[in-house]
Amino acid sequence: MMDNLQRIQPPVFPVEKVIIPETKMIRLNNNVPVYLIEAGTEDIMRLEFTFRAGQVKENFPLLASTTNMMLTEGSQNYTSEELYRTLDYYGAFLNLSCDKDRAGMVIFLLNKHVKKILELSREILFRPIFPDNEFHSLMKKRLRWFLVNREKVQNLAMDQFLESIFGKTHPYGQQVTETDFSNLSPALLNDFHSEYYTIDNMAIIISGKIAENTIDILNYSIGDISSPKNHPDLRSKKPEGSLEKKIHIIKPGAVQSAIRIGSATINKRHHDYPGLKILDSILGGYFGSRLMKNIREEKGYTYGISSGVSSLDLTGYKVISTDVRPKNCQNVLNEIYKEIKLLQNEPVKKSEMELVRNYMTGEMLRMFDGPFALAESFRSAWEFGLDNSYYYRLAEKIRSIDPYEITELARTYYNIDGLYEVTVGQR
Amino acid sequence: MIKHSRFSLDNGLRVLVHEDKSTPLVAMNLLYDVGSRDEDPEMTGFAHLFEHLMFGGSVNIPEYDLPLQMVGGENNAFTNNDITNYYLTIPSENIETAFWLESDRMLGLDFSQKNLETQKNVVIEEFNQRYLNQPYGDAILKLKSLAYKVHPYRWPTIGMDISHIEKAELKQVKKFYYSHYCPNNAVLSLTGNISHDTAFNLTRKWFGPIEKREVKERSLPVEPMQNEERRLTIEKDVPADALYKVWHIGPRMSDDYYTLDLITDLLAGGDSGRLNTKLVREMKLFSEINAYITSDIDPGLIIIHGRLMKDVDMRYADEAVNEVVNNLKNGKGLKDEMEKVKNKFEASTVFSYTSILNKAVNLSIYELLGNPELINNEVDSYRKVNKEKVVETSGRYLISSNCSTIYYKSTRKDK
Repeated sequence: MMDNLQRIQPPVFPVEKVIIPETKMIRLNNNVPVYLIEAGTEDIMRLEFTFRAGQVKENFPLLASTTNMMLTEGSQNYTSEELYRTLDYYGAFLNLSCDKDRAGMVIFLLNKHVKKILELSREILFRPIFPDNEFHSLMKKRLRWFLVNREKVQNLAMDQFLESIFGKTHPYGQQVTETDFSNLSPALLNDFHSEYYTIDNMAIIISGKIAENTIDILNYSIGDISSPKNHPDLRSKKPEGSLEKKIHIIKPGAVQSAIRIGSATINKRHHDYPGLKILDSILGGYFGSRLMKNIREEKGYTYGISSGVSSLDLTGYKVISTDVRPKNCQNVLNEIYKEIKLLQNEPVKKSEMELVRNYMTGEMLRMFDGPFALAESFRSAWEFGLDNSYYYRLAEKIRSIDPYEITELARTYYNIDGLYEVTVGQR
Repeated sequence: MIKHSRFSLDNGLRVLVHEDKSTPLVAMNLLYDVGSRDEDPEMTGFAHLFEHLMFGGSVNIPEYDLPLQMVGGENNAFTNNDITNYYLTIPSENIETAFWLESDRMLGLDFSQKNLETQKNVVIEEFNQRYLNQPYGDAILKLKSLAYKVHPYRWPTIGMDISHIEKAELKQVKKFYYSHYCPNNAVLSLTGNISHDTAFNLTRKWFGPIEKREVKERSLPVEPMQNEERRLTIEKDVPADALYKVWHIGPRMSDDYYTLDLITDLLAGGDSGRLNTKLVREMKLFSEINAYITSDIDPGLIIIHGRLMKDVDMRYADEAVNEVVNNLKNGKGLKDEMEKVKNKFEASTVFSYTSILNKAVNLSIYELLGNPELINNEVDSYRKVNKEKVVETSGRYLISSNCSTIYYKSTRKDK
């Protein structure tokens, strides 16, 4: 037995530079761009259809998301039941999605069924009929889901946070209320659909072991669709935060209070964004972050605390989130601000810089590992008009950023007077 | 086909390796054969609390996470009824750091009072966050104690009562460690950018010198057969009524396992499942409803739970669920549906194995179950289930004398 083994850390090797496979772009006969990312070892694909049809386009709360959710509730040639049964029969996983800026769907499929799945995709995306019966039952169900979600302090806090930083009337910030569930109609959905689910408003992203005839089948099933460009191309108005920076919502009986602290900020198009991502990681972006170390691992105040930066089309936002017992709430708030001030006033030590550099470099490998991760990473740069050079810039920033730049960024982007603080719970 | 090799060390550690050169990463999974079923009824939640303590430093390494993040790695862990499972992904250049870290915490832990106190608080907050501060969060706790009277599955992994966590002491922590954490009670798997030879050499180097330890033989009380229907009504300030139903089933390795899995897929696999089609879309009784089997090693459960639409009578909804369940027993309309759920199972298996981490976790679990080859032949076993088996098996398990039901009622007027 090698019982005289020296249990000291083995040599550490610099992590290989991330290599991102190139994305190929092809246009269908009707000019729809298709982005192709070849990756993976299994005969499967991830197909994403994305439209600028998110909440930012809606005039009524719930309009964009309901239109999206109704896509699979019946089409010219299939009832909702037939659609679901067929998708399941072919082993496809379909996820509809509607976020602030974009809406659409992602399908995971076995290559051998690509033809059938694309036929169904055409039905779902371009021939929905928004049947009355399905519409009413969806609205009733959604109201029930909404009522359950509003019992959770985390949801109450996040909804209020977005309202506070983006404004009550902006689609980024607008909160849904119970009455909104009775203000929509199939006709409104149909209008929204014909305005925004259009050929010139869409893109397709395909990743996986791409079946040879995929583009031909796409041309056959979608390449002949034309739609008049009739969505109003107005610049959406800028979101504006409310004047009130601190809000507490009382939730009687809550065992924990939810905390959200943050503000609107730059998005991916801004040259400081990679640096802000690194700053955010140091503050609360990973298990070894300062907030996690201090508030969970030192003090045991919470199961988890994190900070994150998100990009939206018109702006971005950063938010620190945690759930804590009411009696610890004030302490935790104080500690959060203390950590922010520390980043503004003291340069990060060399060892911590090295830690975050290495962690984030590893994280970048994970972001590009496998066909599904590749597609998500591609999409989240592409939708801001960026390409892989964004990630190479991020990688370079991770390698080269110095502690003084972090301090500078913390002063610019984490100005404490500009932060909103939302708490929900007892108190 | 997921090609894998297997070896074991003299100290009893079992190792599985699957090489996948398409990724720059390696996934390492280390499973310990200890879960909440191995706990003292007076000290429940201990296995999971212990999982937290495993990150507080080991004999030669003051902190686990730091060196791992320093080489670009990321890790996490989970505990369930049967196992405690630790996993990480790491750039392949630095895989040896993972061996150094994982072997050190198998060799010995740094048992500190401070770490214990902190992690007790963290776990209590986890309990609060997941079970107490969510509507219906306590339903699963009640459900388990209604269905099991004797077997340790009667308490949830987080623990039966928060006081059990609060009173945990360092000496119990030590005892737990030495009786469950050792090479002869663990399974290691490595997947991704690592060859069999590298895996073999590094495992031998880092885990080889760790001595075998005495593991207490598991002898758990057997849950007696349930022979009458059980019911419980809970009243709480929640927005809607909810219904929970469970039936006892056999152990994970029983012949019925894949049939039962397929039965729950008929009921609730995908949007076209029977419960969703009939009770949500057609009859509009539920806003959502789900069914699944627990994949416990000892005899587990089929679980169905759903939330009711406004003004729907609970007993009526319950009867409607029973009718959908009973329809399975007469086998009507099964033909097309069988092919559908089989295709879906096959597809989801393929999708899940695009991740090296999923492959690593499953290899460890299948080895523990006694057959790592399950990773390749589960789809076949599932495909072999036929209509007759569905009819016969549902007739045997899905009967009222084997069923426990909870009516989780809202106390609100406008529910």
